[in-house]
Amino acid sequence: MAEVHVIGQLVGASGFPEHSLFCKWGIHIGGAWKVLSGLREGQTQVDNPQNQEAAYWSHPIDLHLATKGLQGWPKIHFQVWHQDSFGRNELYGYGFCHLPTSPGIHDIDCPTWRPAGEFREQVSQHFLGGGPQLKNPDLIYSGADRYRLHTVAMGKVHLQLGVVLRNFDRYGIEC
Amino acid sequence: MLPYITEHQVAHQVKITKMAQTVFLLMAGGQIESAEFPEFDDIYCKYCFTYGSDWLITSGLEEGITQITKKSKDDRQEFVWNFPLDITFKSTNPHGWPQLVIHCYGIDVFGQDVVRGYGMCHVPITPGRHKRKVPMFVPESASALQKFTAWFLGRRPEFVDPKVVAQGEGREVTRVRSQGFVTVSFNVVSKDMKKLGYDVIPSEVSTTVVPDNVGMAKGQTEA
Repeated sequence: MAEVHVIGQLVGASGFPEHSLFCKWGIHIGGAWKVLSGLREGQTQVDNPQNQEAAYWSHPIDLHLATKGLQGWPKIHFQVWHQDSFGRNELYGYGFCHLPTSPGIHDIDCPTWRPAGEFREQVSQHFLGGGPQLKNPDLIYSGADRYRLHTVAMGKVHLQLGVVLRNFDRYGIEC
Repeated sequence: MLPYITEHQVAHQVKITKMAQTVFLLMAGGQIESAEFPEFDDIYCKYCFTYGSDWLITSGLEEGITQITKKSKDDRQEFVWNFPLDITFKSTNPHGWPQLVIHCYGIDVFGQDVVRGYGMCHVPITPGRHKRKVPMFVPESASALQKFTAWFLGRRPEFVDPKVVAQGEGREVTRVRSQGFVTVSFNVVSKDMKKLGYDVIPSEVSTTVVPDNVGMAKGQTEA
C-alpha cells in the first residue's frame, strides 16, 4: 500500500470580524484510505491576540495514512468559532481544503464561509448574535446539496502542511 | 585473523545492512535568530525538541538556554539571540516528526522570571534552508479571581510542561494570548529517505522513471 504522511500545523486565522477564535478540524478520507496513526480530528486552543491582526493556534498535525486507491484523496475541514468574554461560542465559518497531492511543504490559505440565513435571521443576528449553523456538517466538504444555501464570506484559515509520500512511484503514480 | 568469514558472520552482516536500510537520518542545523515582543524587554529563551517514539537523537543537544537580550535601540525594536541549533535524528518512520518547542521568559520589575510566550514548529520536512516565524502565546487565567491574583502577585499562569504546546490533544480547554514572534532558521539535510520509498519533494513528472513492472497485467512477466 502507498503511504502518506501529513506533518504540519494549523497556523491560525485572519480576516474575521473579531478575534478570540478557535477551530474544530477533522480529516475526511475515502473508503480506500486508512488512518494508521495520529489524530484525525481535534480542537485548537482559543487565541485572543494582543495585536488584533490574526489569531494563532500553532496546532500540530501529524497523520500517517495508507491507501489502496487514489479516490477519496484526504480533505481537511474546519469550523471556526468565536468565543466571547462570557465564554459563549458563536459559529464564524466553515471551510475545507484538499491535502496537497505533491510532496513538500505547502502554505495554504483556506477561505471560509458561513450560512447567511433569511433576511429576518440576518437582522436578528446583527443585533443579538448567533446565527444559522449547518444541521449536517458533511456539507462542508461535499458539493451535493450546496445549492440550497445562502452564504456569506468570512476570513481565512492558514495552514502549513508538509506532505511525505511513500511508494507512490512503485505503482506508477505521478505526483 | 581468519582469511574468510563464517556463515554466522555473514548472517550478522546481512542483519546489519537490513537494519541500516530501515533507518533514515535527519540533520537540522540553524539558529534561533531573533524575536519581536513589542511590550517587553530583557528576554531569554529556552528550547527543546519533542519527537515520536520511533525517533532517536544521534548527536546534538536536545535542549538549551539562550542569553538574555535587550531590544535593539533602533526602530526595529528587535531581540537578537543568534543562538545555534545543531541536531541529528534517526528514525524508521516519519510519524512523530521532531518539533522545536520554544518558550521565552522575561524579567519583570521585581526581578522575577515571567513567561512571555510558548511556541512550536516542526523541523521542516524538505532538505534546504527554511525560515519560520513562530507565533508565541501565553496561557490566560481561567477566572476573574485568578486574573486578579496573577496581576497582584505578578505571577502569570504557566504550563507545567512546555511540551504540551507540541501536542494536538487537550488543547480545547486552554485560552491563550499571542503577543510576539520568534524567528528561527533551519538548514535541513536528510539521508536515505528516498531509499526507503519516501518522497519529500515532487518527482519530475515529465522525465519520470517508470519501474518495469508498472502497467503489466498480473502474472505477466517480461519476455
